[in-house]
Amino acid sequence: MKTMPNRSEGLIDLLVADLKPTPPLTQSGGMARAGLAALAAICIAVFGIGIRRDLAAGQLDPVFLLSSGLFLLLACASAWSVIQMSRPHVGNHQTGWAWAIAMAAVLPVSGLLTWVVSLASGGTLAVDGEGWKCLVMGTALGALMAAGLTLWLRRGAPTSPERAGLLTGIAAGSTGMFAFALHCPHNDIAHIGLWHGLAVVVSSVLGRLLIPSAIRW
Amino acid sequence: MIADEATLARLMAMAQRGDREAYAALLPACQSWLKRYFARRIGPCELDDLVQETLLSLHRKLASYDPSRPFLPWLAAIARYRWVDLLRKIYKANEVEIDGDFEALPDEPGISARISLERLFAQLPSAQVAAIEMVKIEGLTVSEASRATGQSESLIKVNIHRGLKRLTALIEKA
Repeated sequence: MKTMPNRSEGLIDLLVADLKPTPPLTQSGGMARAGLAALAAICIAVFGIGIRRDLAAGQLDPVFLLSSGLFLLLACASAWSVIQMSRPHVGNHQTGWAWAIAMAAVLPVSGLLTWVVSLASGGTLAVDGEGWKCLVMGTALGALMAAGLTLWLRRGAPTSPERAGLLTGIAAGSTGMFAFALHCPHNDIAHIGLWHGLAVVVSSVLGRLLIPSAIRW
Repeated sequence: MIADEATLARLMAMAQRGDREAYAALLPACQSWLKRYFARRIGPCELDDLVQETLLSLHRKLASYDPSRPFLPWLAAIARYRWVDLLRKIYKANEVEIDGDFEALPDEPGISARISLERLFAQLPSAQVAAIEMVKIEGLTVSEASRATGQSESLIKVNIHRGLKRLTALIEKA
């Protein structure tokens, strides 16, 4: 077996000489950064794109409240997990994000069921021409969260870059959709379930494909 | 030097504050721990490089240690990541020439078995473990491993690929 006293001692000397004070990454610091990214997305949606009329008039639709709440919870749960992943630790078990996804999946499933029941009872297949805007804008607004979390992960040491990328995408998509829902005037579950849910799916796929290479160490 | 968990955690917290003396005491202790940790899971000719790579990662990722948590599970996560990464690199480069006898050290690092590398393999199907161990750790060729296990050569390759992918997902869990 090879011995390595000289090389390793030399390396250790170099590392010691290179040491600088390094504040540890904290969960609260990461969540604060994620909160700022979410706030920026909300400000762009409300002040840049425009707030929906009923909200501006102080009226709150129950479907809007319910769906926005689910997207917000999904964003919080996935961002929390991403930030935890930046600080590795054998014995970590993060399953909260999976439950949040299951909870948020209620929306697209409900949308799909509404659609199917409508067709079965003789309704027509109405194509929502506005839906793609929600898809594009929700994904675009989520890019702020994606960038913030990716930078955070680069400072940390995620041991599963693929899962970290996927979760970053989910956090980004759900944040973007939460923000854009403040503009989107639709309250029907079919629109929200399909198009708003699709924005989260698209962001997740993008996150899974693009982010791992940026955070590998 | 065999330092206990509490001492290592305290030295690491001091190192994060920029204390070079603490860091100079911590790194050789980590080096010894890593040598024992990797000894049974990597060929002797790769041990030196893997320990140094892991020390470099420790240095670059100092900020990712949470001083309110134990130190060794953090170091083990960094070490596991570097180990799986090395296995993947060997797999990608198709380098299967590992010479020398395997020296199995009798003493397991003095910490919970939870952070041992063996626990990762325990989570994999036996066919994947056999393929990875024979080709990536013991240095057999794919065809030699195929003859030894009775798996076809393409199945050996598939099992290595799937096993390494699964190991990545398990680094912190198992």
